[in-house]
Amino acid sequence: MDVFSLEEESGCLMKSSREKYMAGLMIICLFIILSISGCWGKREVEDLAPLMGIGFDLGKKPGTYLVTQQYAKTKKGGNSGAETEERTLGAEASSVREAFDIVSKAAYRTPFMGSLKVIVIGEDVAKAGGFNNMLDFAQRFAEFRRSMYLVIARGKAEDVLNLKLRSEQLPALYIRSIIEGGHDLSAFPMVRLGHYLTVLGTKSTAPILPVVEAVKDGEGIHYKAEKSDEAGEIRVEGAGVLNGDQLVDFLNDEETKGYMWLEDDVFNRLINTVDLKESTVKFSGQVLKSNTRYKVKTDGGNFGLTYQIRTSIAIDEVLGLERQLSGTDWVELVKEAEASFAEVIQKECESAIKKQRELGFDFLGIGRHIEQRNPKYWKNIKERWKQEVSDFPVSFDIKVTVHNTGMSSSSATNSEGEGQD
Amino acid sequence: MGTTFLPIASLTTGVADRDGWMSVLPGFALGIPFGLMILSLYKKYPQKDLLQMTEILLGKWVSKIIGVLYILIVSYFGGLLLGQIGDIYESSIMPRTPIEMFYLGGLLLVLYLARSGIEVFTRFTEVVFPLVVIALVLNIGLSIPRIEQGELMPILGQGVAPIILAGFKVTPFVMEYILFFAGILPFLPTDKQEFTRLKKGVWLTVFLVGFVNTLVVLMQIVIFGPSETVNLVYGLLVLGKMVEVSRTISGVESLFLGAWFGALVIKICAFFFVVLWSLESLFRLKGTKSHLVIGMIFMGVALSNKRGPGLIVEIGLVDNYLIFPFASLWILTIWTFSHWKKKAGVS
Repeated sequence: MDVFSLEEESGCLMKSSREKYMAGLMIICLFIILSISGCWGKREVEDLAPLMGIGFDLGKKPGTYLVTQQYAKTKKGGNSGAETEERTLGAEASSVREAFDIVSKAAYRTPFMGSLKVIVIGEDVAKAGGFNNMLDFAQRFAEFRRSMYLVIARGKAEDVLNLKLRSEQLPALYIRSIIEGGHDLSAFPMVRLGHYLTVLGTKSTAPILPVVEAVKDGEGIHYKAEKSDEAGEIRVEGAGVLNGDQLVDFLNDEETKGYMWLEDDVFNRLINTVDLKESTVKFSGQVLKSNTRYKVKTDGGNFGLTYQIRTSIAIDEVLGLERQLSGTDWVELVKEAEASFAEVIQKECESAIKKQRELGFDFLGIGRHIEQRNPKYWKNIKERWKQEVSDFPVSFDIKVTVHNTGMSSSSATNSEGEGQD
Repeated sequence: MGTTFLPIASLTTGVADRDGWMSVLPGFALGIPFGLMILSLYKKYPQKDLLQMTEILLGKWVSKIIGVLYILIVSYFGGLLLGQIGDIYESSIMPRTPIEMFYLGGLLLVLYLARSGIEVFTRFTEVVFPLVVIALVLNIGLSIPRIEQGELMPILGQGVAPIILAGFKVTPFVMEYILFFAGILPFLPTDKQEFTRLKKGVWLTVFLVGFVNTLVVLMQIVIFGPSETVNLVYGLLVLGKMVEVSRTISGVESLFLGAWFGALVIKICAFFFVVLWSLESLFRLKGTKSHLVIGMIFMGVALSNKRGPGLIVEIGLVDNYLIFPFASLWILTIWTFSHWKKKAGVS
């Protein structure tokens, strides 16, 4: 009886000490949960200055950069909380962190990098090279996201970010909107920081970045400017080819469009045959679907790359039609349109290839295509690829299908002897 | 699985380049024979853990030496993993919170689970494991729009040899699991039907974790490319940072880190149990004091160790040069010895 009660007592004691131990742990855990939930690193949204854009230009002192930072500030009296006004500040420093340190002393709130949308690289920095050092902060510091866009500015990045746009939008957000709407145009590449770093890692491919520029009235676009010598609009057109992080040359609009075809980066595109001299009837249309494939072909010991482009187009506009067409004539005209569109696409692709050969930098990633399709052959040539890139044979196989011709099967024409006659 | 999906892409891609993803399953599969060897030993020596079997097969002193080594390796590794909790939180989303708070938070949870016993621990894993898998699958699924064209090609561009070599970088991860398996044996059932289920469980575990990890490596290669995959310390978190749904949802890496915290606690707690059981088996030590002492050792290792890339390197070194050789040699030796004894008819 005594032994039993002793055992019961020791069991009770063990149970109570275990309960005490668990209760103690629970209290400490509760304390930790309450204290760990962000109290140390807590920052209220109202105290943060969301960073929207950064621009890099060369500083006046050697080894320094002018880092322009564009923050968004909620507009007082705006119709909604989403309306913002810009607050752009710049500082000359030898590192981006240092520039933020300088600007933070004058900023109204603590800079928050997680909202960064666009990095604008000034033309002078891009030409001088070495801007990867500036990007290191953006790819290392945990607040940033790799999904931000990279663009090269014609002229100074500071000027682009300081533009007073007629739309009253922040230039950084405006650039972001143009780039994200780029799929409808497919006329310039969309390059995020992550993509740039991936391309840089391939070694054989030269990175390419879209070019942003301030547009004054009459520079391709007409608008009513407040001051005649000041730009009020921004345009993304063309691209810059880089050797590592140094700008080698700019691609014009046609060359960039050629790049987009060859990169299989065309989603929807507006396309016209107005510049083709051979045909009297001109067509405009939009690309509905496009697919580019490539094949590495070998003819004996000679290797070459063939791009196979298959595009579906809807005709939106027919110009220069002088008479009403019968159904059969219309079918023939559509065939002519298909050939004309294919010719335009080929011209754009050829101009991109021509530029690549002139520069001697593989921005089209032909080396990577060879590696993907024929790794054995790539192993043989990769060491001398820089010499090979200018001569490597490239051919095209382009087929365009006109998907529809819009709401009308003919165009308005003058009666004989009227109008232009 | 608690920590494997963070460094695995960098490790395998560093060796096998674009083919790194192919090395994951074969690397994990190497764990199957070891798991089956342990089960076959358990069939012969039911209700005994591997240390007790070692004592029966190789004698008291050899088992004591192996046991001490086992405790040292597992304690050190558990402490390093505790350190990783702090490192990953500090370097990614909570840079201003003192790192010690993460150690303390993780350790208290581990102590609570260890004190509550193996049943509560398994219930905890039952709840957390699906959350980890869902978080991983979501992270991978939502990253699909970021895939770069053609990054996976060419397949087998470097041949098969790098894939085999990369597989050896993966095997230590399975050996961590095998070390825990060696300790948990006495809690496993012994009847024949359950034994077949256990065998299937080994296959299922290896292939499930191997498959999820293959997906993790594959996605990082097709999104970052091989060069960046190698460079990124915690690639999966960077992937989480790139997730953006209709300009509305972003920053899901914080949610993922919550699930990952649970996974890491499971792993640390598993090693904590291993040390507890080994101390009990070797030196008959048990009770609250042993919990606190092990907790202090884990905390001490976490506090004294290097942070950032240094910590990752240290974990890799322990994995490759301590856990892998120790576990494989130990299991192979006693399994061979047990078979030899059976053949020779030695009792």
